[in-house]
Amino acid sequence: MGSSAPDSPTKNEATAGVTHARGDGGASLRVTREGHGRVVALTGAHSFLGSNLVGLLEEDPRTQRIVALDVEPPATRGKKTRVYPLDLTDPKADTRLAEILAAERVDTLVHLAFLSEPSFASAWAHELESVGTRHTMVAARHAQVTKVVLWSQTLLYGAHPTNPNFLTEKHPLRAPRKESFFADKIEAEAEVSRFADRVPGSVVTILRTAPLLGPTVKNYLTRYLSHRLVPTMMGFDPLLQFLHEVDAIAAFKLAIDRTMPGTFNIVADGVLPLSTVIKLAGRIATPIPHPIAETATAIAWMAQVADAPPSFLKYLRFLCVADGKKAWDTMGFRPAYTTREALLDFTNAQRLRDVHLLQEPTP
Amino acid sequence: MSATFDDDDNGPESLSPSVVDGDPGRSYPAEPEDEIEEAPRSRAALSEAEVAAKIRSLEERLDEMIGNADDLPLEDIPPPPPSRFASAKALTPEPDATVFDTARELLSSEFYLRKWGRLGMRNRSEEVDDFGFDPVYEKKVQPIFDFLYERYFRVECEGVDGIPAEGRCLLVANHSGTLPYDGMMIKTAVKREHPQRRDVRWLAEDFLFHFPFLGSFTNRVGAVRACQENAERLLQQESLTAVFPEGVKGIGKLFKKRYQLQRFGRGGFIKLALRTKSPIIPVAVIGAEETNPMLYRIDYLSQAMGIPFIPVTPTFPLLGPLGLLPLPTKWRIVFGDPISFASHGPEAADDEMLVGRLADQVRSSIQTMLDRAVKQRASVWLG
Repeated sequence: MGSSAPDSPTKNEATAGVTHARGDGGASLRVTREGHGRVVALTGAHSFLGSNLVGLLEEDPRTQRIVALDVEPPATRGKKTRVYPLDLTDPKADTRLAEILAAERVDTLVHLAFLSEPSFASAWAHELESVGTRHTMVAARHAQVTKVVLWSQTLLYGAHPTNPNFLTEKHPLRAPRKESFFADKIEAEAEVSRFADRVPGSVVTILRTAPLLGPTVKNYLTRYLSHRLVPTMMGFDPLLQFLHEVDAIAAFKLAIDRTMPGTFNIVADGVLPLSTVIKLAGRIATPIPHPIAETATAIAWMAQVADAPPSFLKYLRFLCVADGKKAWDTMGFRPAYTTREALLDFTNAQRLRDVHLLQEPTP
Repeated sequence: MSATFDDDDNGPESLSPSVVDGDPGRSYPAEPEDEIEEAPRSRAALSEAEVAAKIRSLEERLDEMIGNADDLPLEDIPPPPPSRFASAKALTPEPDATVFDTARELLSSEFYLRKWGRLGMRNRSEEVDDFGFDPVYEKKVQPIFDFLYERYFRVECEGVDGIPAEGRCLLVANHSGTLPYDGMMIKTAVKREHPQRRDVRWLAEDFLFHFPFLGSFTNRVGAVRACQENAERLLQQESLTAVFPEGVKGIGKLFKKRYQLQRFGRGGFIKLALRTKSPIIPVAVIGAEETNPMLYRIDYLSQAMGIPFIPVTPTFPLLGPLGLLPLPTKWRIVFGDPISFASHGPEAADDEMLVGRLADQVRSSIQTMLDRAVKQRASVWLG
C-alpha cells in the first residue's frame, strides 16, 4: 500500500499528458451516452460538496439524471434526482450499489463519502472511507462505470519541515499513517488508482482540495477558527493555503463535465502565515509549546473533548501547501477566490454567527 | 466652506461656462463676472500672460473671501446640511459623551479585542508572497540588519554592481560561521549597495525550519527552505537567489578548516543554473568564519534534538545561550563576475561529468576569491 500511493499519480500523469495533447488544452467535452445527457451518481450526496453538486447538476440541461446515494437525502434534490438510501459501512453495500448503478445506467460516479473532520469512532470511519471506497470501486467495475471522480485533500501530503514550498501531484502522500483520518483517505486514493490501472478505458479524476473555507462549509478548520482563543504552536508560523467552497464545487463540476484523467491539486492562489490568518479572522492566538500541546491534545482526544487528534498539530508547525499549476494548465481550473479572500468570506459569515445573527439549519 | 456661504450668488454663475463648454480645464480662469460672456469667444486667443493674470486675480478674490470669513461671527454661519449617512456620524465620538461612557468602553472586552486585532496587524502585511516573504515585516526588522551590517560586522562590499539589474540570477557563496548569518548579510548588502536595491531570496538549511521562532522569522524576511523545487521556482519567478552549496558541511566545519571550501553537494546548483538558464555569480564571504569559532562538534546528542550538530566554541556551552552571540569580526563580501552557462543547453543538466566539471570551476573561483581576500586581510577584527 505504501508504495502504490506515490506511484499511481505518476501513471495518471502520463495518461493526462496524452489527453492534453489530443483534445486542445484537455478541454474536450465528454460525449454522453445515448445523447440524452449525463447520468451522474454521487456517494455522500448529503455532504457539503454532495448536496451543492446535486443542486448544480439539477440546473444543468446536460444532466439527464442524478443518482443521490447517502444515508439521508440531500436537501437540494429536484426533479432529476433519484435518491437511494445507501450506507457504505454496510457489508453488502457493494452489491446494492452495483445494482443501483447498473439499473440507473450511470456513466459518471462522484465519490464524496468522506468525513470532513476527524471522528472519535475511528473504526466506523475506517469502514466508511477505506472499505467504503473499496465497495464503491468494486460496484463501479461491476456496473461498468468508467468515469470516476474522487475527492481527496492536499492534507494527505502531510506537513513536514522537509516539504518544498509547493507540493506537486508527483509528491508522495506522507501524512501520518497512524492517524486513521489520513490513512483511510490515502488507502481510498490508492484503491481508486488501482481501479484506474485495472479497468481499461477508465477516466479517473482525483481532486485534492486544499482545506475548504467559506461562509457555509463546516469542517475541522472552520471549527478551529471559530474559537475565540485559537491555539498555535509557540515559535511556529507556517504558511497556509485554503480553497473557497465555491471554487471547490466549481472544480468538481469541471471534472464531471470534462474528460480529464489524473490527479489534480485544487487550491486557491496565495498563501498566508497562520498568525495572519488568526488576526484576519479576528481571533486571538494562544501560543503553546508544542511538546505540551501534543500531550494535552492526546489526552483531550482520548477523553473525546478535543476537536482534532494530536497529529493535526503538525499542520500548525510545518508547511503543507500544494501547487495548483497542473489544474490551471490541464483542467482550466481558475479559482475565483484567493486564500485571503476565502478566509475573509468565512470571517464575514462567522462574525454574524458569533452574535447569533445568522440562522442556520442544524445538520 | 465659509467662503461659499459668504457670497453664494457668484457660485452658480462662475460655474456655468464650464458646464456649457464641457471643457472645465480651459474655461476655469474665466471666472470674474465681466469676462463670462466673452469667455467662449476669446478663449482660443488667450495668451499665457492673460491666463496668469486671471489666476492671480482669482487668487486675490479667494484671499479676500477667506479674510471676510474670518471676520464673520461664528453664529452667522448656517449649520451644515444634515448628512445622509447617519451611521457615519455615529462613528465619530459624540462631543457630549461623559467620562462614564469612555470608562464603560474601556472596560468592555470588545474594545480590547478590537485594539488587539488592529495592533496585531500593525507590523505585518495582509498578504505575503508565495514563499512567505513579508515586506512590511522586513522593513520593521531592517534596523537590526542595518546595525549588524554597519556597526557590528562593518561589512565591506565589493563588486555588487556585477549583479544584473533584473532577471534571474544565482548567487553561489561559501557557507560559514556555525550560525548562518551570512545569508542575511548577503541580503542586506545587496539591498543597501545595489543600485536597484534588489531583494535576495536565500536558501536556508532544513534544520532551521525545525526550530521554533528561527524558522518562521527567517522565512518572513526572505529565506526559503533549500530544495531543488523551491530554487527552480524562485528562479523562474526571475528572482535573485542565493545558495550555499556546501550546506551544513560548510557551517559545521571546525575552526582549523576555516576558508577551505567543502564538497559542493552533488552539483545541484549547476543543474539548476543549466535548467533555468540563470547566470551564476560566485560570492566570497570573509569574516563569518570567526564569528563563532567551532573548536569541537558534538554529533551524537544532536540527532535527538533535530539539529545537525552541537557546536563547542570558546564561549558556547560555557556562557549558555549568551555564548552563541557572534563575535564582532570585520566582514567583507566579494561578488565575482557573472558566469554564464548559456552555451550549454538545458539538457546538459543530465550530463553528470559536465555538471561536475562546472561545479568545480565555480568552486575554485570562489576559493581563489577567498584566498586572495584572506591574504589581504591584516586583522580579523579590523580588516
